[in-house]
Amino acid sequence: MYDTTRREGAVTQDDIKIQARKVQVFYGDKQALKDVDVDILDKTVTAFIGPSGCGKSTFLRCINRMNDTIPIARVEGEILLDNENVYDRRVDPVQLRAKVGMVFQKPNPFPKSIYDNVAYGPRIHGLARNRAELDGIVEGALRGAALWNEVKDRLTEPGTGLSGGQQQRLCIARAVATSPEVLLMDEPCSALDPIATAQVEDLIEELRTQFSVVIVTHSMQQAARVSQKTAFFHLGNLVEYGDTDDIFTKPKDSRTEAYISGRIG
Amino acid sequence: MTGIAFALLLTAALTGYMMNRRAALALRDGGQRLHSVGMFHGLYAVLAVVVPSVVVILLWLMLQAPVINAMVMSGLPAGTLDGLDSGARQLAQAEIQSIAGGRIFGSPESWKLDAAERLNSLRGLSGWLMVAVVALVVAAGLWLTRRSVAPQFRARQAVERIVLGLMIFCSVIAVFVTVGIVLSLVFESIRFFQMVPITEFLFGTRWEPQIPIRADQIAADGAFGWLPVLLGTLVITFVAIVISVPVGLMSAIYLNEFASPRFRAVAKPMLEILAGIPTVVYGFFAILTVAPAIRAWGAALGIPVAPNTALAAGGVMAIMLIPFISSFADDALSAVPRSLRDGSMALGATRSETMLKVLFPAAVPGIVGGVLLAISRAIGETMIVVMAAGLIAKMTINPLDSVTTVTVQIVTLLIGDTEFDSPKTLAAFALGLMLFILTLLINIVALRVVRKYRELYD
Repeated sequence: MYDTTRREGAVTQDDIKIQARKVQVFYGDKQALKDVDVDILDKTVTAFIGPSGCGKSTFLRCINRMNDTIPIARVEGEILLDNENVYDRRVDPVQLRAKVGMVFQKPNPFPKSIYDNVAYGPRIHGLARNRAELDGIVEGALRGAALWNEVKDRLTEPGTGLSGGQQQRLCIARAVATSPEVLLMDEPCSALDPIATAQVEDLIEELRTQFSVVIVTHSMQQAARVSQKTAFFHLGNLVEYGDTDDIFTKPKDSRTEAYISGRIG
Repeated sequence: MTGIAFALLLTAALTGYMMNRRAALALRDGGQRLHSVGMFHGLYAVLAVVVPSVVVILLWLMLQAPVINAMVMSGLPAGTLDGLDSGARQLAQAEIQSIAGGRIFGSPESWKLDAAERLNSLRGLSGWLMVAVVALVVAAGLWLTRRSVAPQFRARQAVERIVLGLMIFCSVIAVFVTVGIVLSLVFESIRFFQMVPITEFLFGTRWEPQIPIRADQIAADGAFGWLPVLLGTLVITFVAIVISVPVGLMSAIYLNEFASPRFRAVAKPMLEILAGIPTVVYGFFAILTVAPAIRAWGAALGIPVAPNTALAAGGVMAIMLIPFISSFADDALSAVPRSLRDGSMALGATRSETMLKVLFPAAVPGIVGGVLLAISRAIGETMIVVMAAGLIAKMTINPLDSVTTVTVQIVTLLIGDTEFDSPKTLAAFALGLMLFILTLLINIVALRVVRKYRELYD
């Protein structure tokens, strides 16, 4: 019933970037995610909403296999990125993460210069053949993150010296610099003030033209503002998935309605 | 007597606590609003009783022996001590004391027996007097604090002030002891520099402290240039650091990032055991195992190797320093926020790239600080080099040669019968002062480095 291809005739199989099939996640004995099936579209912003501990961040971290870094985490089921299971043994998680970028809740710039922060990914993956190319990638990424004009004269200064909002956009630039196909954002605005939040939201709107964006958020207003598709998680289940407008105006599930009207959460 | 005094003190403290607390509670039950809860009124009484009486007891114990001795000696029959020099007077005094303690050798003169009896009675009197004074102080404390119990009395602040004073006193002790040690080093060194010019000590390249102790002995004149000794210290330190820093760092990186929890659970305690081995045991290891092995390799390769090489002493010192550096680096790496590691991994970096490019640079200040402290320790390390390094000071930087260190020279200069007015003995203090200055400078630099990097990264 969450299959968007069936409900909206306009969407074709080609537009689907990520398909999750029966994804289950366990932390030790505790099950954090139960049988999640979802199709995430290309060049679309998909928002995951739900109360704390509902599994939305856990699912996000499955898509780029960041759960691999947690020893007790165990993932079952399939996640297909361009029809290839990311949990297939042939897939190198390191390569996968270059294709699926991630921005975290708290800005986490490296203790390096602004330039080196953005150049980190391209250097690791050998994306530039010479310094001029690398300069181009860095400038492009910083422009893409709407940060270029603010930092172009101080690229050698430490990235940790920027303001919170600038740091978060630096982290977005850092993720964009490896030219990913999907960008995962785990509550990217929860540590930012309203002005910085608005800047990041504008940026998300821009980024959507290039790739698929998946954003976890606690703010339903934010989900309504930035996303085209919304998925509501509750207690490890994907309760409802559909067009953002539909979810917020005429939810089908009573739990979704209770959450968006502020009765659970 | 001291026991009785302390028993008195404890009883009074307990009584004061109960009394004041009860008085405060009675006030409260009478409908008054107390500023402080009853416990603080009680504690105030305890502190007011304990602190002054402990001071009295300690002062009394410190001063009673010299005062009583002076009284006994001055109370001797006139003319007894006439014609005795100071040594003989001290001897007489010691004999009187041992008679008073019940150890009588031979048949002492009657004035000594009388004096001993007087000494004993004075001691008894002093004990009772101390108990009386303590009782007086305790009673005064109890009376004053009992009177102070009132709704408006700020017992809580008063107690906090007294405790604050005690804390200040305790922390000042360490400062005073340090200053005292430094001053004693400085004064003895000044005496040394009056005999040996400071320029000769600082810039001389010969260290031969074997000067004649008695006028009729035949020996060299003695030379006190500390440069060869310093050079030996630096060679051994260099060897120790060159070996221990890479090994310690690599083990820390492996344990912190790559090791399985099971391996870590075994390896960490092993490293801690290594840190707990007494240095004298490292000394055995150096002379019995490492030095012969190095000599055997040298012989096999046809290289001349001294029996006690700088390499053996430095190598074993390196083993001692490995856990030190490793745990410092491990702590520094663990202190790097997890978000940085996640950020790097999410960009598609491998664990080694993450370690090399993000975690290690972020941990550098802590690691550099640890390495500098390790250098300080290597310079000041004594037991291993006393056992494994040489005694002859040589101007050489060959680690296969035998060298000596500052600490070894201090030990050899002060061992055995020594005269505290000969330059040979005083040279040890000058060396100690230099060692202190050197390690102090390194520690200051270490702190500076750590702070500078922290400014960059935070």
